[in-house]
Amino acid sequence: MPLDIDPALLGREFDHTTYGPVASDELIAFARALGETRPEYVEPGPTLVGHPTFCVRYKGHKFYPENIPKSINVRTGLDAGKDIAFGVPIRPGDTIDIRSTLHEVYEKTGRSGSMYFVVIRFTMTNQRGEMVAVVDNRFMHRG
Amino acid sequence: MFDTVAEGDELPVRELFLAKDMVRAYARAANQMAPRFTDDAGARQEGLPGMITPGNMSMGLLTAAIEAWAGTGALRRLGTTFRGLVLPDRTIRMCGTVTEKDDTAHTVELDVWLENEDAERLVIGTATVALG
Repeated sequence: MPLDIDPALLGREFDHTTYGPVASDELIAFARALGETRPEYVEPGPTLVGHPTFCVRYKGHKFYPENIPKSINVRTGLDAGKDIAFGVPIRPGDTIDIRSTLHEVYEKTGRSGSMYFVVIRFTMTNQRGEMVAVVDNRFMHRG
Repeated sequence: MFDTVAEGDELPVRELFLAKDMVRAYARAANQMAPRFTDDAGARQEGLPGMITPGNMSMGLLTAAIEAWAGTGALRRLGTTFRGLVLPDRTIRMCGTVTEKDDTAHTVELDVWLENEDAERLVIGTATVALG
């Protein structure tokens, strides 16, 4: 059954969340957990920056828009992948602003039946208004 | 580096024994402390065969492999598809190959993937990397 999505929902912001300030310890623990040893990721000081994928640590408070069709059960979605466009690195003391939009919804039919994909876009900026990352989170739901 | 890279070049393969404690440390650091990422019993209650690795961690490991080749800060874009479960306490490999060069932007496109010991590609993706 095709999804009945109101086109007006696409691109409309449904959550706005701010995190921070980012602590050096958080950046270092994240990088070390990935096995990083490069000084710019693990040594405190003025040159410390976050590992590029540190941004995926953040998400909005609301996972999906409230008025998404009920046939999409938020709790049963599987993380199908992500696309990240990287901007400036995250630094200690930054605050990270996240604006969430419903970016895309599409259907695919595979051997196991139909699947719906919901793409939630997080646009992340820092306190200077610089783009930190645009993260498209792709979730898969069985039809 | 850009001038010495050619389409078809392979990135150095990074091999890693992915210990459960490493996955737990990532889950803590990434604020993903769900049972599926921290203990076998909790994961089985969710219908999984045991603890699994967060997809975000797989992305992080692929990013580390790309940056080890291209340099810190070189990654412009990374897109991934999570195709299979990445189970800890096994050896994984992070691999990549150059698929395209952009002479104007001085960037290259990569196919990247994370595979298990049976060469099954559990995470696949593409990346754009700026080379000096």
